[in-house]
Amino acid sequence: MSSAPLCAPALAPSALMLGHRRRRRLALVGYLAPVTLFYIGFLILPYLSLLELSFFRYSSAKLYIPQFTIDNYVAVLTDPFYWLLMLRTIGLGLLVTAITLLMGYPLALMIVRSPPRRKTLLIGIALSPLLINLVVRTYAWLVLLGDTGVINSWLKAMGLISLPLPINGNWVSVTIGLVHITLPLMVLSLVAVLENIDRRLAEAAVSLGATDTRVMRRIILPLSLPGIGSGSLLVFCFTISAFVTPALLGGNRVSTVSTMIYQKFTFSANWPVGATLVFILLAMNVAVIALHSRMFREEHDHV
Amino acid sequence: MFDRAVNAIGWLVVVFILSPLIIIIGASFTETTYVAFPPQGFTLRWYQQLMGRQDFLESFVFSIVLGFLCTLAAMILGSLAAIGLHRHRFFARAFFRSFLLSPLVLPTIVTGVALLQFYYLIDLEAPLLGLLIGHVLITVPYVVRTVGAGLVGLDPAVEEAANSLGAGTLRTMLRVTLPAIAPSMLSAAIFVFITSFDQATVSIFLSQSVVMPLPIRIYSYIEFAVDPMIAAVSTLLIFIAFGLIALLQKVLGLDRAFGAEIR
Repeated sequence: MSSAPLCAPALAPSALMLGHRRRRRLALVGYLAPVTLFYIGFLILPYLSLLELSFFRYSSAKLYIPQFTIDNYVAVLTDPFYWLLMLRTIGLGLLVTAITLLMGYPLALMIVRSPPRRKTLLIGIALSPLLINLVVRTYAWLVLLGDTGVINSWLKAMGLISLPLPINGNWVSVTIGLVHITLPLMVLSLVAVLENIDRRLAEAAVSLGATDTRVMRRIILPLSLPGIGSGSLLVFCFTISAFVTPALLGGNRVSTVSTMIYQKFTFSANWPVGATLVFILLAMNVAVIALHSRMFREEHDHV
Repeated sequence: MFDRAVNAIGWLVVVFILSPLIIIIGASFTETTYVAFPPQGFTLRWYQQLMGRQDFLESFVFSIVLGFLCTLAAMILGSLAAIGLHRHRFFARAFFRSFLLSPLVLPTIVTGVALLQFYYLIDLEAPLLGLLIGHVLITVPYVVRTVGAGLVGLDPAVEEAANSLGAGTLRTMLRVTLPAIAPSMLSAAIFVFITSFDQATVSIFLSQSVVMPLPIRIYSYIEFAVDPMIAAVSTLLIFIAFGLIALLQKVLGLDRAFGAEIR
């Protein structure tokens, strides 16, 4: 019941409407212009100039020479070193995704089945790492896994080992650190889906004689596939783009596409090749997102 | 049987999540010069040493200033955009919304690199401004989403009613719209502040030794040494984070607040 139709005919309609529409359009510009200008200036232009940079020639004296070339892409895509780097990065992404799924699923199930108060507490615990500084969380794993760190000194005190276990400054520590950091993303995606599964489905199956594991395999797991999909996507994309954790826990011995980008933009200062790697990283992200939406669109079509 | 197995694994995962934090907090009180857990003895000298570190104090203050400026800027840009998107139906509105949210899906390292080379290109030699722009860029999407979600719950009829009863645009905004979305704005502001205060990946590319936000100060310190003083500063940061979580919980409820950040 809006009052507009009642009073509009009484006033000169066309002129008023026109003024009204113009005012509305002006208001819209007022709301959206600041953020749009900001995005054009500091998102679109920097990304475009980064793209341009990836087609510039490298120069040791001047960072780069503004001269068009596709040499950087040719160099990166024909060098086995970079292929290995990409494969290792993808491998790390898959490994971390698999582990967070295996750890996150039972936790998510437990959260969903908990009584309300405990549920809030568990969600708080599961998500708390998100609000704690990335560098602090990574430092915590340095403390735990280091050669003279907590785990190694405990094992030594118990007489189980004489030399420190090689769990720091390599793929083991990087994987553990990344699992810890990405676990909340997985748990949240899983909880969101598991919460919406109708309890009566499982109850019906049980009353018809299905065992717990069968209910899990035939009902809960298939229905939670979208959550598994979106959680895996988040974790995978975060992992292949992560920088701080591999750089600190890898101790210069672990390189991923991201740490290589950092090197190219700092120590070795080959900006054009660094920019090329950036677009390869973006392409990897886009490919995974496309794969995910394809898989889950087909899912919907069948249902 | 199956349930018990699920719960056993679930609790183990909870231990995995919490153990690094507990060990950090414990180790910050150790009397040893290396990080030990359980802590040996009890001392506050690592906190004392931290208070004597001019560089850490400066970085702490700098991070707070940066966080406030970033919150202010991101809230203004993001809230205006959210209100505009809510009030108006226009061509390519959905596309525009995804455009505003796009920094969320772009890897932060890429945004850092893009800005680094762009500042070099345009000769921007203002470290604070450079960092601020980077932080605002990655936090505006949170505001657009969280405040946008708050606006969805606001019945447009209420605003129309105020308007038809004679309240002007500004008055409607101040007396109707803003109070209605105040909780979501507050939660967005807290999130923006935390994100900016904790931001490391973008900052690493845009920091210089004169102005270093706290996470970068810690980062560059632990590249060389892992000692209990860092456990002390980490403990302080953990408590600040938990304080803010408690605040969020009061304002909005925990799961909704977190949902706002991730979804």
